[in-house]
Amino acid sequence: MAIPFPFSAIVGQDEMKLAIQIVAIDPKVGGILALGDRGTGKSTAVRALADLLPPLQVVVGCRYGCDPASSAATCTDCASLKATGKRPKTETRPVPVVDLPLGASEDRVVGALDLEKALSQGVKAFSPGLLAQANRGFLYIDEVNLLEDHLVDLLIDVAASGENVVEREGLSVRHPARFVLVGSGNPEEGELRPQLLDRFGLSVEVRTPQDIDQRIAVIKRRDAFERDPQGFRDEWATQNDGLREHILKARKLLDKVKVGDDLLRLCAQLCQALGTDGLRAELTLMRACRSLAAMQGHKTATPAHLRTVAPMALRHRLRRNPLDDTGSGTRVDRALAEVLGT
Amino acid sequence: MNLAWDDALWALTALHIDPVGLRGIWLRAPHGPVRDEWLSMLHHLRPGVRRLPNNIDSERLLGGLDLSATLNSGRPVTQAGLLAQSDQSLLLAPMAERMASEAAAILAQVLDNGRVTPNGGGESQQACLGLVALDEALEDETPMAECLQERLGIWLDLRHLGRPEEASDEVLGLIGVLCSPDGEAEEERQTVLQRLRTLRLNDLQIQAITQMGLAMGIASLRGPLACVRLACVLAALRESDAVEDIDLGRAARLCLTPRATQLPAPPELEAPPEQAEEPQEPPPEEESAPPDPEPPSESPEDDALPQEMAELLLEAALATLPPDVLAQLANNHATRIQGGGQSRSGALRHSRSRGSPLPPRPGLPRQGARLHVLATLGHAAPLQKLRTPLASAYGAASRLAIRAEDFHIHRFAERTQTCLIFAIDASGSAALHRLAEAKGAVELLLAQSYARRDQVCVVGFRGTQAEVLLPPTKSLVRAKRSLAGLPGGGGTPLPHAMKLALELALQQRRLGVTPSLVMLCDGRANVSLQGSGGRSQALQETLSLAQAWRAQGLQSIWIDTSARPEPQAEQIALAMGARYVPLPQANSQRMAQVVQAATR
Repeated sequence: MAIPFPFSAIVGQDEMKLAIQIVAIDPKVGGILALGDRGTGKSTAVRALADLLPPLQVVVGCRYGCDPASSAATCTDCASLKATGKRPKTETRPVPVVDLPLGASEDRVVGALDLEKALSQGVKAFSPGLLAQANRGFLYIDEVNLLEDHLVDLLIDVAASGENVVEREGLSVRHPARFVLVGSGNPEEGELRPQLLDRFGLSVEVRTPQDIDQRIAVIKRRDAFERDPQGFRDEWATQNDGLREHILKARKLLDKVKVGDDLLRLCAQLCQALGTDGLRAELTLMRACRSLAAMQGHKTATPAHLRTVAPMALRHRLRRNPLDDTGSGTRVDRALAEVLGT
Repeated sequence: MNLAWDDALWALTALHIDPVGLRGIWLRAPHGPVRDEWLSMLHHLRPGVRRLPNNIDSERLLGGLDLSATLNSGRPVTQAGLLAQSDQSLLLAPMAERMASEAAAILAQVLDNGRVTPNGGGESQQACLGLVALDEALEDETPMAECLQERLGIWLDLRHLGRPEEASDEVLGLIGVLCSPDGEAEEERQTVLQRLRTLRLNDLQIQAITQMGLAMGIASLRGPLACVRLACVLAALRESDAVEDIDLGRAARLCLTPRATQLPAPPELEAPPEQAEEPQEPPPEEESAPPDPEPPSESPEDDALPQEMAELLLEAALATLPPDVLAQLANNHATRIQGGGQSRSGALRHSRSRGSPLPPRPGLPRQGARLHVLATLGHAAPLQKLRTPLASAYGAASRLAIRAEDFHIHRFAERTQTCLIFAIDASGSAALHRLAEAKGAVELLLAQSYARRDQVCVVGFRGTQAEVLLPPTKSLVRAKRSLAGLPGGGGTPLPHAMKLALELALQQRRLGVTPSLVMLCDGRANVSLQGSGGRSQALQETLSLAQAWRAQGLQSIWIDTSARPEPQAEQIALAMGARYVPLPQANSQRMAQVVQAATR
């Protein structure tokens, strides 16, 4: 693996960093959509994500990185292994953060017939694609708004079902593909389909820092990193470790955090005021509140947490009149003020 | 002395020293003596530099299974891709403006990560490289994919340079040393690299570069970063112990000035603190040139910070700017917006790699076409008996004998995109009562094309000429903005509008997009192509353009916006084969319905 830029060394980008931490604590919150100009460090932040996450326990040699502890979401190999009653051997792997290149062919994404085996041994075998690699981890799409329609369709389906089903070229394979979708892009260059937008739990707006000192800090750190990536990482190792421990602690606390009925009512009112469809928005709000509370070490989620996460969780879900310029952020703020009464 | 060529050679030398740190160069120049000279020097410096053929497929780019070798030997043979082979080196990409978006996306990722994963998975390999992207795009064409532009450190535009000019002895001497035979050249390179490791910019210098980036409206931080790196490489090349102003100036000219989206305004025009804080967000309206025609010679705005340094830097950076810089800036901006970051090269090619599947057909798996294994095996199977004698001669009777003629490839049908070109009459006659309605109708249509993911493009015409208010885009917000800013009044330069729309349509068709025109006009043409008045000439020109339009077989709709149906409009619509829709009392809802029904 290439050495990623340490997460704790990222300057500014507070909302983005917060969103990443929320998702790292509770991946069920859903993916992150980062919108903003080029060269603002969106990809840097996403690729640094792995810093925050403790390594995974996986079944040895499993191509899909199945969880030895889970019984439900496993691939056929692991399922048959389990049926024999043997305890699978385990190994640790870093959490996968898989890049999906824009021009990727469908084969590369879903997987295809293993040519190597087909030609040399005449065996019909499946060669897993990026979706398999991303199982239990993160799938990162840079410039998600330029993604081809057929790939979008595919992702929408898999992201919802958590399973990749391949029925082509005489193959019939299904394997788990539970991943957190992370996308970044510049909205000026094209819009996203509402269905795809809905698959992202949180959305953040990233801007280049306009403050000259911040910009200088970014340039200095980045330059130092490029000169000596490993050395720079070592320098920041303590901070990174601290951050990871913090996340781990928050994860443990997560189940204990209470979300009261009052808060749920507020969530529902907020969604109603904004006219978001379905219950996904409410669920995301609730989970994000809980995750944020855990992150701050609180045992109860409060309206203050709601206020922090609401813009991120709702901004991209507003049923939008394509010609209405009013920023969705403003609309969320307005609704927040109405519902929370401030 | 003209600095452009000198700078070009410094850029070349710096690239040779540190291809990986600089990530490469975006070289905009036509095929000609200047580029040839530059490239021949590159070949002298790096004799084995690899080329990236434009039609490369992702297998070859990323590496993976070598199909023919595998077939021959009967066991898997893998080969490294071009990217992994170019590790720690430069990769030359000619005709970068035509590069398939797939390849561009892969390259952008590799430039970011320095790793490449072979096709079909497997261990990732190191691929730290610098890309020399040769872009031959003309002014009105889409340049190289934006995701690549952004990542390449050096931007060099030699389009205005007729022939190689003289360069300083210093850089020529350096190139001489770095080209010298034997191990000397490499030794020299290592010495420079050694020196590079110790060189740093001081805080003041970093501050100056950052400030300048802001003043030039460069939002991305990749530009200033590349500038920092290049300054160090240049200082190392000069055998200097510290980075000096001359290095900063050169680096700024190569990394910052070309990225500028605005010229730092002289202090009289704008209050300095504002300028320093929010010079960003170059909105698309900025396409028209900023008001100040003269490059400010000195004193850029900056507050208390290292004023002198920034001034010097700016002066150095502006030294190479040709006089028509503002026009260029505006131009640069326009072309940048146009492509939406995607350079397309033929929709045909793509249809072999993606879309909904069609039945396989015989063919060789190259240039992006993928082998359809089942069909191939199916074709080979009945012939096995015939081929067995031959196969057993090779001592491999049990293996399947597959010949080249068995190969079948995948085919896919890709849905083509459409682009709606709106031509809107904003002349005096229309402005009186119809312009607002036309705008309303277009907004409704925009909302519909948004739902269908069509591209839209807006041409407005009034006074003496027509102009493209919005190049083809999918962004609604921008379409709406451009519409809102359309004023009314003046003559009706219908011929010019037709000509512009025709050019746009043909350009779109070349990109594999199906264009169609929606003309909102009352047909009362009264300004000719030259911009002079005269009804009869304008009408004549319009009619001949209408015939040209028809000859191209392009789809169009004419919405007559005059108060009563206008015979002249109908006549023109007939000539161009357009569907004529008189809407005397149009309401926008109705107008939108008509267009939707016609283009469905």
